[in-house]
Amino acid sequence: MNDRPIRVRVKYAKKGNLRFIGHLDTQRMFERALRRSKLPLRYTQGFNKHVRINLASALPLGFTSDAELLDFWLNEELEASFISDRLTKSLPSEIEILDVKLVDNSLPSLQGSLLASDYEILLPDNELFEENFTRLLEQDRIEVTRRNKTIDIKPMILRYEFSDSESGFNLLKIRMSSSASANTRPDDLLELLGINPADCKINRTKLIFEE
Amino acid sequence: MTGSNIDLIEKILYHVEKPGRYVGGEHNQIIKHWRDGMTKWCLVFPDIYDIGQTNLGLAMLYQALNQADEILAERSFAPWVDMEAEMRKNAIPLFSLENKKRLNEFDILGFTLPYESIYTNVLNILDLSAIPLFSKERDMSFPLIIGGGQATFNPEPMSEFFDAFVVGEGEEVVLEISKLYSIFQKEGASKQDLLAGLSKIEGVYVPSLYDVSYQTDGRIAAIKPTRNNIPERITKRIVPVLPKHPSKFLVPNVEIVHDRVSIEIMRGCTRGCRFCHAGMVNRPVRQRDVKDIIPVIEDALESTGYEEIGLLSLSSSDHTQILDITKKVHEHFHDQKLSFSLPSLRIESFSLDLMDELKELKPGGGFTLAPEAATERMRAVINKPLDEEVFLQTVREIFEKGWRSIKLYYMIGLPTETQEDVEAILNDGIRIQKIGKSIHGNRVKVHLGIASLIPKPHTPFQWLPVKSPDSIQEKLDFLKSGTRKAGIKMSYNIPDSTLLESWLSRGDRRLNQVIYEAWKNGAKFDAWGERDNLQVWRNAFATVGINPDFYAYRQRDLDEVLPWDHINIGVKKDYLIRDYQLSLQGRTRKDCRQNCYMCGILDSFGELRPAKENGYWGCP
Repeated sequence: MNDRPIRVRVKYAKKGNLRFIGHLDTQRMFERALRRSKLPLRYTQGFNKHVRINLASALPLGFTSDAELLDFWLNEELEASFISDRLTKSLPSEIEILDVKLVDNSLPSLQGSLLASDYEILLPDNELFEENFTRLLEQDRIEVTRRNKTIDIKPMILRYEFSDSESGFNLLKIRMSSSASANTRPDDLLELLGINPADCKINRTKLIFEE
Repeated sequence: MTGSNIDLIEKILYHVEKPGRYVGGEHNQIIKHWRDGMTKWCLVFPDIYDIGQTNLGLAMLYQALNQADEILAERSFAPWVDMEAEMRKNAIPLFSLENKKRLNEFDILGFTLPYESIYTNVLNILDLSAIPLFSKERDMSFPLIIGGGQATFNPEPMSEFFDAFVVGEGEEVVLEISKLYSIFQKEGASKQDLLAGLSKIEGVYVPSLYDVSYQTDGRIAAIKPTRNNIPERITKRIVPVLPKHPSKFLVPNVEIVHDRVSIEIMRGCTRGCRFCHAGMVNRPVRQRDVKDIIPVIEDALESTGYEEIGLLSLSSSDHTQILDITKKVHEHFHDQKLSFSLPSLRIESFSLDLMDELKELKPGGGFTLAPEAATERMRAVINKPLDEEVFLQTVREIFEKGWRSIKLYYMIGLPTETQEDVEAILNDGIRIQKIGKSIHGNRVKVHLGIASLIPKPHTPFQWLPVKSPDSIQEKLDFLKSGTRKAGIKMSYNIPDSTLLESWLSRGDRRLNQVIYEAWKNGAKFDAWGERDNLQVWRNAFATVGINPDFYAYRQRDLDEVLPWDHINIGVKKDYLIRDYQLSLQGRTRKDCRQNCYMCGILDSFGELRPAKENGYWGCP
């Protein structure tokens, strides 16, 4: 066994029915897919050995994504394209491998360096949405309550723009903080506007990390 | 189902707990193209996905049916109450996980009935699928509704809802049912013709073709076929040689109970414990050869990526090659970071030897033993003899090997039980704790699991009454206070759920109406302790006008016609009577592999017995 672990970074899309699979279940799904791939995996040490794997960020239940990232570790260096093929073969079809690369072990953890996420939200037809949304953003504070804790999410809304999608729906593109200290989600905002997140299609399009 | 319906399903999924239960899409799921000319099965497990998807029988039938080109088999489970509420609110019928088809679009619904507490769920599922509940209300435009599984050895309480039952093992008979169905369907046969055809298949019971008459006191007078060309008794179906074990297991995307690969290494048991339904109805003992087991595990690991394997049987220590199995498993898989479980080990040092071979069985999880009774006298009554010395020595060795946690299973409410027998259970716990502490100090955990006896159909105890909830509660209270003082953990079945199980498992045809009434008044998921349904059931009995105590607390006469007497499990009634009498005398019968007691299995199935080199049978 090579003592120096090889760190592999995978960018993937999560689509279709798999958007109803939560974060811990997704992690377990990857562990099993990695085991099926027969790549020379690095395991955690200790009594119960697990595949060493690190997902950048929990994708909320019901969201699709084109921009998820995870790291896992190998005991041997292999070609990225070879790893990518193996992963594609062993994963459910609703997970699409977009990119695989070998990265330096000294890089900080994905979770630790995540700052923000970009989302595209396809909204139900509602002519007043843009106006209501703009008015909400003009307030000094935008308070949401989560687990009995009220926080102001206004500073966590980093940028946004509206456009019309091809299907005639309103499309909201929004960047929101996803760091450990400041974390919010689009559904927090939608609920404040009286919109049922289930009536929207929410897709994560980018993860933004510390440089 | 139309596209807009799928959209609607997806919308309600945002409002329910664990929506991954309802979307399918697991690795190794089989989705066939939905087309005419196929016989379309939906295998329905009437409990939630988390519990049903783990069922090995379901995996076996899913494989057996889908291997045939002309058959399509999908899955469906009971929606949890939150999902059901959303479905009813939005008028969404229950659908299959694979092609998301409504259940009433299938030809055959095959329900798995492993235990009785999900009977009301069956009705709920039919109702959610817009399918009439009673067999007589359904013509050929509705799916054929069949049931199978361990509970169907007494199918009577559900006989009016099902068109037919498979009694016994399903792997082969489902293909015969499928074939017959497809022929009759093509010919445009009537439902009556189909049912008559089905009744001719070995192991298939069509309840509407049998008539039950009653005496004035409520006992059964006779159970008779309504026509002369169908059998008086339905002999269960067996597979003489266990078929190829499935290995391409579905890998659930959400966590389920027993989330691991399960490999059945042996079917049936020769020990003859008198309380044990499984030990009586699953005879003869057949085992898989070690040379077949290893490749199945290999295949399963490769195709699932699972990290845990369970080697299942009713009595693992009794597999004639068990030492070899544990050795080979270790040889083949020790470098793959797996964990193995080997439940149902006998209480003897040999079990520890097995543990030595199978190093992947780690002391982390705790060691489980099932003495079932705590005095040698009581163990003779239930025919599970265990030498006191051997028991304590085994416990000592378990602790010495590094285990710090032991769980022990006992039963209360056994025939001839006295206070002394109950006190002995507590005493066992205390003694074992003391042994553990002498080796590991205070970090020892002893856990007692207490079940109360439900005398089950087809066992030597089938004539016995159930002990009253009050007397059970008294014994439980005694054990609870004793274990609390001693710092021993204890878990137990609530007497109410025991009572419900006794009605449903020992009932006759009159229970159909009771189940219907209870369901109409909201009974479902009756196994879930937090839903207090017993009053609903009592009311249902009252509405139908029968006394539940008739089923629970009555000692039956040995010559009484029992509701399940027309179901032939291969074990003769004479044998059960003899065994019952021996029990009351405190006399045991040894493992029947050494000494045949002529239970009847060889009379019913001897002709099917394979040559030695083709498959092991436990019968001498």
